[in-house]
Amino acid sequence: MLLVVTYSRAARGTLRNVCRTHEGCVVRRFGRAALLAETEFAAFQALRLREKHGGDVQIERTRPFNEFEALDPDVREAARAYETRDRPSVPYSNFAAGTDHPDPERLRGADLPR
Amino acid sequence: MSDEIAVRVAGDCRRGRAVDCSDRSLDPERVVSAVRDETVDRSASATALSVTCPDPRPVHDHVGLVEPATSVRTRTALAAAARSRGAETPVDDDLRSVRADLADLAVPETPDLRAARRRLAGTESAVTECRERVAALRGRIQAHRDAGRDATDLEAELAEATATLAERETERTAAREALSMVRRKARTSRDARERRRRLEDRLANLERSAREHLVEAVRDSFAAAVATALRAPAESHPDSGPDADPIAVDGVTAALAVARVADLRAPVVLACDRFDSPTDAATWLDAPVIRVSPRG
Repeated sequence: MLLVVTYSRAARGTLRNVCRTHEGCVVRRFGRAALLAETEFAAFQALRLREKHGGDVQIERTRPFNEFEALDPDVREAARAYETRDRPSVPYSNFAAGTDHPDPERLRGADLPR
Repeated sequence: MSDEIAVRVAGDCRRGRAVDCSDRSLDPERVVSAVRDETVDRSASATALSVTCPDPRPVHDHVGLVEPATSVRTRTALAAAARSRGAETPVDDDLRSVRADLADLAVPETPDLRAARRRLAGTESAVTECRERVAALRGRIQAHRDAGRDATDLEAELAEATATLAERETERTAAREALSMVRRKARTSRDARERRRRLEDRLANLERSAREHLVEAVRDSFAAAVATALRAPAESHPDSGPDADPIAVDGVTAALAVARVADLRAPVVLACDRFDSPTDAATWLDAPVIRVSPRG
């Protein structure tokens, strides 16, 4: 999808208008940002917004996240285990220490595959 | 007299608190521009126009020109009128500080992401193409050798293709790095833009509450001004009744009432027939007046 983020009141106003006028290409709206469908028409609207407001408009392309493709099982398992931990106050680094769960520093240093 | 003004049109100079120029066909907009900037219209001497008067206050932007087609944003204009009378609001300190923060906020230019994107575009497919070419050449060389044929020419071609592949890969890496560097810079610029947007939102909220306060401060004077304006002669006001909302009157009445409420220094340019004479207008508005004929 296309993620359009605005950084000024004027750009936010135009985004709002675009979303109102072209509901069909809006997947979701969040205040000053919106997710647009992955169509050339939506891209056209996003580009138009950037032509008008320049650096106050950021356009990114998102991709679906599939944790079964993007991650080793240990990360998924760690997430599940941590969210069902007995003591809610334990930070993840302590929770993972001395277990098979991945170290948070290692996770920080590991990029998702492109 | 301190609030006497002077209107000079092509060598003819008229002075007073109420200056009548309705005998000349002057574009009202042009006269207002001359009120706001004395030096603006000194072009050709045959038509030169200048107005000597005190500097207008911000409220003049709203009601400095009143003509039949006038419409005012009444609340905004009233707030400016209240300010012209020195009214203050509980949010003035916050307003000043947010305006100062905004003035101090430096927003770095967004770096040229477009150029970086354009540079990266196509580098991936160029690498793929070169790889395929290298693989194909390798295959053909192997086939030549298997068949006992000379592969010297193909080997030279392969060497060239391999070199090109290395170049393309280098270019792709460089383009990727350039883009991610520019994206990091863009993030800094966007952080600043985000701060500015928040400040502007806050400013808009403060201005809204200041406006409410200011409108409240002059509401009664405005309603009284509207009531007397509606009783003023010359035009009929079918919408007016005793219970009419003073904010919802016609544009000319609203503008005149705001002007009466305001403490205007600079003259109001009047291109409407609400008063018997420019002097009556100046008296009712308690402001200098330049009377001109409506356009067209």
